[in-house]
Amino acid sequence: MAAQFNLTSIQKRYGNKIALELEELTLWPGHLYILTGPNGSGKSTLLNILALLTKPEQGEMAFTGERVTWKNRELNLMRKKVTLLHQSPYLFAGTVSANVAFGLKARGLSGEELQRTVAESLELVGLKGFEERNVRQLSGGEARRVALARAVALKPEMLLLDEPLANMDQESAQVVEQLIASLPDRGTTVVMSTHDPRLNERLEGDVIQLMGGRLASENGRYPAYSSGDQNPGTLKTMLMADALVMLEG
Amino acid sequence: MGFIQESIRTSFSLIFSLDWEVFSAVWTSVGVAAGSIILAALFGIPLGLAIAIGDFPLKRVVITLLNTLMAMPTVVIGLVVYGIISRQGPLGGFGLLFTPMAMVIGQTVLAIPIVANYTLSSVKGADPRILPTALTLGASPLQSVIQLVHEIRFGIMAAIIAGFGRVISEVGVAMMLGGNIRGYTRTMTTAIALETSKGEFAFGLALGIILMIVALIINLLLNFMQQR
Repeated sequence: MAAQFNLTSIQKRYGNKIALELEELTLWPGHLYILTGPNGSGKSTLLNILALLTKPEQGEMAFTGERVTWKNRELNLMRKKVTLLHQSPYLFAGTVSANVAFGLKARGLSGEELQRTVAESLELVGLKGFEERNVRQLSGGEARRVALARAVALKPEMLLLDEPLANMDQESAQVVEQLIASLPDRGTTVVMSTHDPRLNERLEGDVIQLMGGRLASENGRYPAYSSGDQNPGTLKTMLMADALVMLEG
Repeated sequence: MGFIQESIRTSFSLIFSLDWEVFSAVWTSVGVAAGSIILAALFGIPLGLAIAIGDFPLKRVVITLLNTLMAMPTVVIGLVVYGIISRQGPLGGFGLLFTPMAMVIGQTVLAIPIVANYTLSSVKGADPRILPTALTLGASPLQSVIQLVHEIRFGIMAAIIAGFGRVISEVGVAMMLGGNIRGYTRTMTTAIALETSKGEFAFGLALGIILMIVALIINLLLNFMQQR
Protein backbone atom coordinates (compact mmCIF):
# COMPACT_ATOMS: atom_id res chain seq x y z
CA MET A 1 0.00 0.00 0.00
CA ALA A 2 1.34 3.41 -1.00
CA ALA A 3 1.74 5.94 1.76
CA GLN A 4 -0.68 8.85 1.70
CA PHE A 5 2.24 11.21 2.08
CA ASN A 6 5.93 10.66 2.26
CA LEU A 7 8.23 13.54 3.14
CA THR A 8 11.98 13.18 2.87
CA SER A 9 14.65 15.69 3.98
CA ILE A 10 12.13 18.53 4.09
CA GLN A 11 13.31 21.95 5.15
CA LYS A 12 11.33 25.17 5.33
CA ARG A 13 12.83 28.45 6.41
CA TYR A 14 11.33 31.83 7.16
CA GLY A 15 14.24 34.22 6.73
CA ASN A 16 17.13 32.75 8.68
CA LYS A 17 14.90 30.72 10.98
CA ILE A 18 14.31 27.07 10.22
CA ALA A 19 10.59 26.54 10.68
CA LEU A 20 10.58 22.87 9.81
CA GLU A 21 13.26 20.25 9.26
CA LEU A 22 12.13 16.67 8.77
CA GLU A 23 14.38 13.80 7.80
CA GLU A 24 11.45 11.58 7.00
CA LEU A 25 7.76 11.47 7.72
CA THR A 26 5.32 8.90 6.40
CA LEU A 27 1.56 9.19 6.75
CA TRP A 28 -0.61 6.19 5.98
CA PRO A 29 -4.10 6.24 4.49
CA GLY A 30 -7.10 5.89 6.78
CA HIS A 31 -5.21 6.99 9.89
CA LEU A 32 -5.91 9.79 12.29
CA TYR A 33 -2.76 11.66 13.21
CA ILE A 34 -2.59 14.07 16.08
CA LEU A 35 0.04 16.73 15.63
CA THR A 36 1.30 18.19 18.87
CA GLY A 37 4.02 20.55 19.95
CA PRO A 38 4.45 23.96 21.50
CA ASN A 39 3.79 27.20 19.65
CA GLY A 40 6.37 27.74 16.91
CA SER A 41 7.25 24.05 16.72
CA GLY A 42 6.31 23.92 13.04
CA LYS A 43 2.81 22.41 13.22
CA SER A 44 1.15 24.98 10.98
CA THR A 45 4.11 24.97 8.59
CA LEU A 46 3.86 21.19 8.27
CA LEU A 47 0.10 21.40 7.67
CA ASN A 48 0.62 24.06 5.00
CA ILE A 49 3.27 21.93 3.30
CA LEU A 50 1.00 18.87 3.40
CA ALA A 51 -1.81 21.02 1.98
CA LEU A 52 0.55 21.88 -0.89
CA LEU A 53 0.17 25.56 -0.13
CA THR A 54 3.74 26.10 1.06
CA LYS A 55 6.67 24.80 -0.92
CA PRO A 56 9.62 23.67 1.17
CA GLU A 57 13.05 24.95 0.16
CA GLN A 58 14.50 21.47 0.26
CA GLY A 59 13.35 17.90 0.19
CA GLU A 60 11.13 15.50 -1.67
CA MET A 61 7.45 14.83 -1.23
CA ALA A 62 5.34 12.02 -2.58
CA PHE A 63 1.56 11.95 -2.47
CA THR A 64 0.03 8.46 -2.83
CA GLY A 65 3.29 7.38 -4.37
CA GLU A 66 3.44 10.23 -6.88
CA ARG A 67 6.27 12.72 -6.59
CA VAL A 68 5.14 16.28 -5.92
CA THR A 69 6.81 18.47 -8.55
CA TRP A 70 5.04 21.73 -7.58
CA LYS A 71 3.95 22.31 -11.14
CA ASN A 72 0.65 24.16 -11.41
CA ARG A 73 -1.35 21.55 -13.27
CA GLU A 74 -0.25 18.75 -11.00
CA LEU A 75 -0.80 20.86 -7.90
CA ASN A 76 -4.38 21.63 -8.97
CA LEU A 77 -5.13 17.92 -9.23
CA MET A 78 -3.44 17.02 -5.93
CA ARG A 79 -5.04 19.92 -4.04
CA LYS A 80 -8.42 18.50 -4.97
CA LYS A 81 -7.53 15.49 -2.81
CA VAL A 82 -6.10 17.36 0.19
CA THR A 83 -7.97 20.02 2.15
CA LEU A 84 -6.73 22.19 4.96
CA LEU A 85 -8.99 23.74 7.55
CA HIS A 86 -7.19 26.73 9.04
CA GLN A 87 -7.26 27.47 12.75
CA SER A 88 -9.43 30.48 12.16
CA PRO A 89 -11.08 29.57 8.88
CA TYR A 90 -12.22 32.18 6.39
CA LEU A 91 -15.77 32.06 5.13
CA PHE A 92 -16.45 33.74 1.81
CA ALA A 93 -19.00 36.56 1.83
CA GLY A 94 -22.47 35.23 1.15
CA THR A 95 -24.59 32.35 2.35
CA VAL A 96 -23.63 29.19 4.20
CA SER A 97 -24.77 27.19 1.19
CA ALA A 98 -22.52 29.15 -1.22
CA ASN A 99 -19.55 28.47 1.05
CA VAL A 100 -20.12 24.74 1.30
CA ALA A 101 -20.75 24.59 -2.44
CA PHE A 102 -17.53 26.43 -3.34
CA GLY A 103 -15.14 23.48 -3.53
CA LEU A 104 -17.84 21.22 -4.98
CA LYS A 105 -18.41 23.67 -7.84
CA ALA A 106 -14.65 23.75 -8.44
CA ARG A 107 -14.95 19.99 -8.95
CA GLY A 108 -17.74 20.43 -11.48
CA LEU A 109 -20.71 19.48 -9.29
CA SER A 110 -24.00 21.22 -9.98
CA GLY A 111 -27.77 20.96 -9.69
CA GLU A 112 -29.46 18.54 -7.34
CA GLU A 113 -26.30 16.61 -6.53
CA LEU A 114 -24.65 19.80 -5.38
CA GLN A 115 -27.59 20.80 -3.20
CA ARG A 116 -27.87 17.33 -1.73
CA THR A 117 -24.15 17.21 -0.85
CA VAL A 118 -24.35 20.67 0.74
CA ALA A 119 -27.37 19.63 2.85
CA GLU A 120 -25.73 16.35 3.90
CA SER A 121 -22.51 18.07 4.89
CA LEU A 122 -24.34 20.65 6.97
CA GLU A 123 -26.27 17.89 8.67
CA LEU A 124 -22.98 16.17 9.55
CA VAL A 125 -21.87 19.24 11.51
CA GLY A 126 -25.30 19.74 13.10
CA LEU A 127 -26.26 22.76 11.02
CA LYS A 128 -29.20 21.38 9.09
CA GLY A 129 -31.36 24.17 7.70
CA PHE A 130 -28.57 26.78 7.82
CA GLU A 131 -28.23 26.89 4.00
CA GLU A 132 -29.59 30.37 3.41
CA ARG A 133 -28.04 32.03 6.46
CA ASN A 134 -25.55 34.79 5.81
CA VAL A 135 -22.13 33.75 7.14
CA ARG A 136 -21.65 37.13 8.83
CA GLN A 137 -24.59 36.33 11.12
CA LEU A 138 -23.10 33.07 12.44
CA SER A 139 -21.54 32.62 15.86
CA GLY A 140 -17.85 31.70 16.03
CA GLY A 141 -18.60 28.03 16.66
CA GLU A 142 -21.17 27.86 13.86
CA ALA A 143 -18.78 29.52 11.44
CA ARG A 144 -16.11 26.93 12.18
CA ARG A 145 -18.60 24.13 11.74
CA VAL A 146 -19.58 25.59 8.35
CA ALA A 147 -15.90 25.63 7.41
CA LEU A 148 -15.60 21.99 8.48
CA ALA A 149 -18.74 21.10 6.49
CA ARG A 150 -17.20 22.88 3.48
CA ALA A 151 -14.07 20.73 3.81
CA VAL A 152 -15.85 17.44 4.58
CA ALA A 153 -18.25 17.95 1.64
CA LEU A 154 -15.30 17.44 -0.70
CA LYS A 155 -14.63 13.96 0.71
CA PRO A 156 -10.89 14.61 0.52
CA GLU A 157 -8.40 11.78 0.71
CA MET A 158 -6.64 13.80 3.36
CA LEU A 159 -8.06 16.38 5.72
CA LEU A 160 -5.68 18.65 7.60
CA LEU A 161 -7.08 20.42 10.63
CA ASP A 162 -5.24 23.23 12.37
CA GLU A 163 -6.47 23.38 15.97
CA PRO A 164 -10.07 22.64 14.99
CA LEU A 165 -11.34 22.60 18.57
CA ALA A 166 -9.52 25.65 19.94
CA ASN A 167 -11.81 28.27 21.51
CA MET A 168 -14.89 26.34 20.46
CA ASP A 169 -18.05 26.15 22.54
CA GLN A 170 -18.79 22.76 24.11
CA GLU A 171 -21.69 21.87 21.82
CA SER A 172 -19.72 22.66 18.67
CA ALA A 173 -16.61 20.89 20.02
CA GLN A 174 -18.57 17.69 20.66
CA VAL A 175 -20.08 17.65 17.17
CA VAL A 176 -16.74 18.39 15.53
CA GLU A 177 -14.84 15.82 17.60
CA GLN A 178 -17.33 13.07 16.76
CA LEU A 179 -17.18 13.93 13.08
CA ILE A 180 -13.37 13.96 13.06
CA ALA A 181 -13.26 10.58 14.81
CA SER A 182 -15.51 9.11 12.12
CA LEU A 183 -13.55 10.42 9.13
CA PRO A 184 -10.86 7.68 8.88
CA ASP A 185 -13.65 5.10 8.58
CA ARG A 186 -15.04 7.13 5.69
CA GLY A 187 -11.68 6.83 3.93
CA THR A 188 -10.20 10.18 4.89
CA THR A 189 -6.76 10.42 6.43
CA VAL A 190 -6.81 13.08 9.12
CA VAL A 191 -3.93 15.13 10.47
CA MET A 192 -5.04 17.39 13.27
CA SER A 193 -2.92 19.78 15.27
CA THR A 194 -3.87 20.42 18.87
CA HIS A 195 -2.62 21.74 22.18
CA ASP A 196 -5.06 19.56 24.10
CA PRO A 197 -3.15 16.57 25.55
CA ARG A 198 -6.40 14.74 26.41
CA LEU A 199 -7.62 14.75 22.84
CA ASN A 200 -5.47 11.79 21.87
CA GLU A 201 -6.91 9.73 24.71
CA ARG A 202 -10.37 10.34 23.32
CA LEU A 203 -9.60 9.99 19.62
CA GLU A 204 -6.87 7.34 19.88
CA GLY A 205 -4.89 8.74 17.01
CA ASP A 206 -1.24 8.40 16.15
CA VAL A 207 0.77 11.18 17.72
CA ILE A 208 3.28 13.21 15.75
CA GLN A 209 5.14 15.51 18.05
CA LEU A 210 7.15 18.41 16.75
CA MET A 211 9.74 20.30 18.70
CA GLY A 212 11.66 23.25 17.30
CA GLY A 213 10.61 22.32 13.77
CA ARG A 214 11.83 18.74 14.14
CA LEU A 215 10.10 15.47 14.60
CA ALA A 216 10.17 14.28 18.22
CA SER A 217 8.60 11.47 20.20
CA GLU A 218 6.02 11.72 22.94
CA ASN A 219 6.51 9.70 26.12
CA GLY A 220 8.76 7.33 24.24
CA ARG A 221 5.99 6.51 21.78
CA TYR A 222 6.80 6.57 18.10
CA PRO A 223 3.59 7.29 16.25
CA ALA A 224 4.25 5.84 12.80
CA TYR A 225 5.80 2.74 14.38
CA SER A 226 2.90 2.18 16.75
CA SER A 227 0.39 2.64 13.95
CA GLY A 228 1.83 -0.30 12.06
CA ASP A 229 4.51 1.45 10.06
CA GLN A 230 7.29 -1.06 9.77
CA ASN A 231 9.47 1.27 7.77
CA PRO A 232 12.79 1.13 9.59
CA GLY A 233 13.87 4.40 7.94
CA THR A 234 11.01 6.26 9.56
CA LEU A 235 11.75 4.81 12.97
CA LYS A 236 15.44 5.55 12.59
CA THR A 237 14.68 9.15 11.73
CA MET A 238 12.44 9.51 14.73
CA LEU A 239 15.04 8.07 17.04
CA MET A 240 17.59 10.45 15.62
CA ALA A 241 15.19 13.36 16.05
CA ASP A 242 14.56 12.24 19.60
CA ALA A 243 18.27 12.12 20.29
CA LEU A 244 18.71 15.57 18.83
CA VAL A 245 15.94 16.96 20.99
CA MET A 246 17.50 15.37 24.05
CA LEU A 247 20.91 16.74 23.13
CA GLU A 248 19.45 20.20 22.65
CA GLY A 249 17.58 19.86 25.94
CA MET B 1 -22.60 87.39 -5.48
CA GLY B 2 -25.00 88.43 -8.19
CA PHE B 3 -23.10 86.72 -10.97
CA ILE B 4 -23.00 83.44 -9.04
CA GLN B 5 -26.78 83.49 -8.65
CA GLU B 6 -26.99 84.41 -12.30
CA SER B 7 -24.71 81.48 -13.18
CA ILE B 8 -26.84 79.05 -11.21
CA ARG B 9 -29.96 80.38 -12.89
CA THR B 10 -28.24 80.07 -16.28
CA SER B 11 -27.13 76.52 -15.56
CA PHE B 12 -30.65 75.36 -14.73
CA SER B 13 -32.05 77.21 -17.70
CA LEU B 14 -29.46 75.47 -19.93
CA ILE B 15 -30.34 72.09 -18.45
CA PHE B 16 -34.10 72.50 -18.70
CA SER B 17 -34.02 74.11 -22.14
CA LEU B 18 -32.08 71.03 -23.34
CA ASP B 19 -29.40 73.27 -24.85
CA TRP B 20 -27.77 71.33 -27.71
CA GLU B 21 -24.27 72.59 -27.04
CA VAL B 22 -24.43 71.71 -23.37
CA PHE B 23 -25.85 68.27 -23.95
CA SER B 24 -23.36 67.57 -26.72
CA ALA B 25 -20.52 68.37 -24.29
CA VAL B 26 -22.14 66.27 -21.55
CA TRP B 27 -22.64 63.35 -23.95
CA THR B 28 -19.04 63.52 -25.20
CA SER B 29 -17.70 63.77 -21.65
CA VAL B 30 -19.72 60.83 -20.36
CA GLY B 31 -19.16 58.69 -23.45
CA VAL B 32 -15.40 59.21 -23.54
CA ALA B 33 -15.07 58.77 -19.77
CA ALA B 34 -17.19 55.59 -19.83
CA GLY B 35 -15.15 54.12 -22.71
CA SER B 36 -11.90 55.04 -20.94
CA ILE B 37 -12.91 53.59 -17.60
CA ILE B 38 -14.05 50.32 -19.16
CA LEU B 39 -10.69 49.96 -20.89
CA ALA B 40 -8.81 51.11 -17.79
CA ALA B 41 -10.67 48.52 -15.71
CA LEU B 42 -9.84 45.78 -18.21
CA PHE B 43 -6.13 46.59 -17.95
CA GLY B 44 -5.87 48.15 -14.50
CA ILE B 45 -7.66 45.51 -12.40
CA PRO B 46 -5.56 42.55 -13.66
CA LEU B 47 -2.43 44.73 -13.39
CA GLY B 48 -3.21 45.64 -9.78
CA LEU B 49 -3.98 42.01 -8.94
CA ALA B 50 -0.79 40.77 -10.60
CA ILE B 51 1.37 43.27 -8.74
CA ALA B 52 -0.35 42.58 -5.42
CA ILE B 53 -0.32 38.78 -5.64
CA GLY B 54 2.82 38.23 -7.68
CA ASP B 55 6.21 37.72 -6.17
CA PHE B 56 8.79 39.13 -8.53
CA PRO B 57 12.03 41.09 -8.42
CA LEU B 58 11.74 44.90 -8.29
CA LYS B 59 8.17 44.69 -6.99
CA ARG B 60 8.72 47.75 -4.80
CA VAL B 61 10.10 49.69 -7.76
CA VAL B 62 7.03 48.79 -9.81
CA ILE B 63 4.72 49.95 -6.99
CA THR B 64 6.66 53.23 -6.67
CA LEU B 65 6.40 53.69 -10.44
CA LEU B 66 2.66 53.07 -10.29
CA ASN B 67 2.31 55.66 -7.52
CA THR B 68 4.30 58.15 -9.58
CA LEU B 69 2.11 57.53 -12.62
CA MET B 70 -0.93 58.37 -10.50
CA ALA B 71 0.44 61.85 -10.02
CA MET B 72 1.31 62.30 -13.70
CA PRO B 73 -0.04 65.62 -15.02
CA THR B 74 -2.73 65.15 -17.64
CA VAL B 75 -0.92 67.44 -20.07
CA VAL B 76 2.14 65.18 -19.92
CA ILE B 77 -0.02 62.15 -20.77
CA GLY B 78 -1.62 64.23 -23.51
CA LEU B 79 1.80 65.17 -24.82
CA VAL B 80 3.11 61.58 -24.87
CA VAL B 81 -0.02 60.17 -26.53
CA TYR B 82 0.00 63.14 -28.94
CA GLY B 83 3.55 62.18 -29.96
CA ILE B 84 2.43 58.61 -30.63
CA ILE B 85 -0.77 59.28 -32.57
CA SER B 86 0.14 62.52 -34.36
CA ARG B 87 0.90 62.26 -38.07
CA GLN B 88 4.67 61.90 -37.47
CA GLY B 89 4.16 59.42 -34.66
CA PRO B 90 4.29 55.60 -34.87
CA LEU B 91 0.45 55.35 -34.95
CA GLY B 92 0.01 58.46 -37.11
CA GLY B 93 -1.42 56.46 -39.99
CA PHE B 94 -4.62 55.70 -38.09
CA GLY B 95 -5.68 59.36 -38.09
CA LEU B 96 -6.70 59.26 -34.45
CA LEU B 97 -5.63 62.74 -33.38
CA PHE B 98 -8.48 65.12 -32.51
CA THR B 99 -11.05 62.31 -32.39
CA PRO B 100 -12.99 60.94 -29.40
CA MET B 101 -10.91 57.74 -29.77
CA ALA B 102 -7.72 59.73 -29.11
CA MET B 103 -9.33 61.10 -25.94
CA VAL B 104 -10.33 57.58 -24.89
CA ILE B 105 -6.73 56.39 -25.35
CA GLY B 106 -5.32 59.30 -23.34
CA GLN B 107 -7.85 59.00 -20.55
CA THR B 108 -7.35 55.22 -20.40
CA VAL B 109 -3.62 55.83 -19.87
CA LEU B 110 -4.55 58.33 -17.18
CA ALA B 111 -6.95 55.98 -15.38
CA ILE B 112 -4.99 52.70 -15.52
CA PRO B 113 -2.55 53.61 -12.69
CA ILE B 114 -5.46 54.82 -10.54
CA VAL B 115 -7.51 51.65 -11.05
CA ALA B 116 -4.42 49.44 -10.62
CA ASN B 117 -3.33 51.24 -7.45
CA TYR B 118 -6.76 51.07 -5.83
CA THR B 119 -6.99 47.37 -6.76
CA LEU B 120 -3.52 46.80 -5.30
CA SER B 121 -4.55 48.52 -2.06
CA SER B 122 -7.76 46.47 -1.92
CA VAL B 123 -5.82 43.22 -2.23
CA LYS B 124 -3.33 44.36 0.41
CA GLY B 125 -6.19 45.21 2.74
CA ALA B 126 -8.06 41.99 2.02
CA ASP B 127 -8.05 39.03 4.35
CA PRO B 128 -4.85 37.06 3.64
CA ARG B 129 -6.75 33.78 4.10
CA ILE B 130 -8.90 34.24 0.98
CA LEU B 131 -6.47 32.80 -1.59
CA PRO B 132 -5.17 29.88 0.51
CA THR B 133 -8.75 28.99 1.45
CA ALA B 134 -9.87 28.93 -2.18
CA LEU B 135 -6.78 26.94 -3.22
CA THR B 136 -7.14 24.36 -0.48
CA LEU B 137 -10.77 23.85 -1.45
CA GLY B 138 -9.53 22.76 -4.85
CA ALA B 139 -10.04 25.95 -6.85
CA SER B 140 -7.54 26.60 -9.63
CA PRO B 141 -5.32 29.70 -9.29
CA LEU B 142 -7.62 31.55 -11.73
CA GLN B 143 -10.77 30.50 -9.83
CA SER B 144 -9.08 31.57 -6.59
CA VAL B 145 -8.26 35.02 -7.99
CA ILE B 146 -11.85 35.38 -9.26
CA GLN B 147 -13.02 34.56 -5.72
CA LEU B 148 -10.59 37.15 -4.37
CA VAL B 149 -12.05 39.75 -6.75
CA HIS B 150 -15.52 38.82 -5.53
CA GLU B 151 -14.43 39.30 -1.93
CA ILE B 152 -12.87 42.72 -2.64
CA ARG B 153 -15.58 43.87 -5.06
CA PHE B 154 -16.25 47.02 -3.01
CA GLY B 155 -12.61 48.02 -3.31
CA ILE B 156 -12.68 47.30 -7.04
CA MET B 157 -15.81 49.42 -7.40
CA ALA B 158 -14.05 52.21 -5.49
CA ALA B 159 -11.17 51.90 -7.97
CA ILE B 160 -13.57 52.34 -10.87
CA ILE B 161 -15.33 55.28 -9.19
CA ALA B 162 -12.00 56.99 -8.48
CA GLY B 163 -10.80 56.41 -12.04
CA PHE B 164 -14.07 57.69 -13.48
CA GLY B 165 -13.93 60.79 -11.28
CA ARG B 166 -10.42 61.49 -12.53
CA VAL B 167 -11.16 61.11 -16.25
CA ILE B 168 -14.46 62.98 -16.33
CA SER B 169 -12.93 65.95 -14.54
CA GLU B 170 -9.65 66.17 -16.44
CA VAL B 171 -9.01 68.78 -19.09
CA GLY B 172 -5.41 68.32 -20.33
CA VAL B 173 -5.85 65.08 -22.26
CA ALA B 174 -9.24 66.10 -23.67
CA MET B 175 -7.87 69.44 -24.85
CA MET B 176 -4.61 68.15 -26.35
CA LEU B 177 -5.90 64.96 -27.97
CA GLY B 178 -9.48 65.99 -28.71
CA GLY B 179 -8.77 69.51 -29.89
CA ASN B 180 -12.00 70.88 -28.33
CA ILE B 181 -13.97 70.61 -31.59
CA ARG B 182 -17.52 71.87 -31.11
CA GLY B 183 -20.09 69.10 -31.22
CA TYR B 184 -17.41 66.43 -31.72
CA THR B 185 -14.66 66.39 -29.12
CA ARG B 186 -15.78 69.24 -26.88
CA THR B 187 -16.27 67.95 -23.37
CA MET B 188 -17.68 69.76 -20.36
CA THR B 189 -14.22 70.55 -19.02
CA THR B 190 -12.81 71.84 -22.32
CA ALA B 191 -15.99 73.86 -22.83
CA ILE B 192 -15.60 75.39 -19.35
CA ALA B 193 -11.98 76.33 -20.14
CA LEU B 194 -12.99 77.85 -23.49
CA GLU B 195 -16.06 79.75 -22.28
CA THR B 196 -14.22 81.18 -19.26
CA SER B 197 -11.34 82.35 -21.47
CA LYS B 198 -13.95 84.05 -23.68
CA GLY B 199 -15.31 85.88 -20.62
CA GLU B 200 -18.48 83.79 -20.54
CA PHE B 201 -18.07 83.08 -16.85
CA ALA B 202 -21.74 82.34 -16.22
CA PHE B 203 -21.81 79.77 -19.01
CA GLY B 204 -18.58 78.20 -17.72
CA LEU B 205 -19.92 78.03 -14.19
CA ALA B 206 -23.17 76.58 -15.45
CA LEU B 207 -21.24 73.82 -17.17
CA GLY B 208 -19.27 73.31 -13.96
CA ILE B 209 -22.50 72.79 -12.04
CA ILE B 210 -23.74 70.36 -14.68
CA LEU B 211 -20.42 68.49 -14.48
CA MET B 212 -20.85 68.15 -10.72
CA ILE B 213 -24.43 66.93 -11.15
CA VAL B 214 -23.38 64.36 -13.76
CA ALA B 215 -20.51 63.17 -11.54
CA LEU B 216 -22.92 62.92 -8.60
CA ILE B 217 -25.49 60.91 -10.58
CA ILE B 218 -22.85 58.48 -11.85
CA ASN B 219 -21.34 58.06 -8.40
CA LEU B 220 -24.77 57.45 -6.91
CA LEU B 221 -25.41 54.87 -9.61
CA LEU B 222 -22.10 53.11 -8.94
CA ASN B 223 -22.70 53.24 -5.19
CA PHE B 224 -26.13 51.74 -5.70
CA MET B 225 -24.56 48.91 -7.71
CA GLN B 226 -21.95 48.48 -4.98
CA GLN B 227 -24.59 48.04 -2.30
CA ARG B 228 -26.57 45.44 -4.25
